[in-house]
Amino acid sequence: MKFFGTLATVLAVSLIPAAAAAQSMSPMRGEVNSFTDVFAVRVFPANPYDQKIKVEIHVYDQDFQPVDARISPAVFQLGAQASRPVLVVVPFGGAAERKVRICTESIPFPNQQTQIRAQICGKFFGHRKS
Amino acid sequence: MKLFRTAFGATLLVACLGQPVLATTQNVIFNGTISPTCTLVIATNGTMTVSPDLQTLSSHNSGGSAGTVTLTTTGGVSLSVDPVTTTTVPAADTTSTTWTPTYSSAGAHSIVETGSATAISTPGADLVSVHLAGTKGGSNRFANGNYQATVTLRCE
Repeated sequence: MKFFGTLATVLAVSLIPAAAAAQSMSPMRGEVNSFTDVFAVRVFPANPYDQKIKVEIHVYDQDFQPVDARISPAVFQLGAQASRPVLVVVPFGGAAERKVRICTESIPFPNQQTQIRAQICGKFFGHRKS
Repeated sequence: MKLFRTAFGATLLVACLGQPVLATTQNVIFNGTISPTCTLVIATNGTMTVSPDLQTLSSHNSGGSAGTVTLTTTGGVSLSVDPVTTTTVPAADTTSTTWTPTYSSAGAHSIVETGSATAISTPGADLVSVHLAGTKGGSNRFANGNYQATVTLRCE
């Protein structure tokens, strides 16, 4: 019995990094109903590299203008092959619904002549219910 | 009586041997939903070199190289590059430069070099090449010193 418990633990632990490495941010689509002036989305940025990277989370509207959302945390270091939850709270701004992009951004190899910023954006649709 | 019991038992056993084993089956349903996902893994950054007339600083020029990025996706996403907004130029360069980022893709999806967004509808993995070209017009020339620019490659 103890053997099976240990086996289950090993399997669970070994599956976690495999799932985290499979994408850079999940989910990338979502619809949220809210009864308040804001709606919240929890996203999971993942680091597919074998090195620690600095990750920034930004929220944009449909025209890629910044949205004044509450992001916890907005900037953080993510370990190799790791993933962590980020909570994003978006105000409706008086509207009945709002579409936003939540983007995970990183420059994994800075200080080069031409550096590439990888940006993974998810599209989220908030509906305000009265 | 003993003989009867033995005969009866043997008859019952033989009768039972011919009966099929009754079994029941029940289906177990598994459901799975995958929403669009995308992974970008930067393999190499790019290098730009200047043209002989000093009016183009580009990864297309001789000695230059594209940045390379591995894209893995389920499909249902879009790939694009943003206009370049973050650059560092030497103090001696006081004239304006027009920066043009482009990308192409080889692998599951073949994308001819473009600066526009491309919809990717099918799953697969690709090697994306990211290019950057800076150009100066008129009599302006690139100056001696270090240049640096950041290209944003977006998957959404």
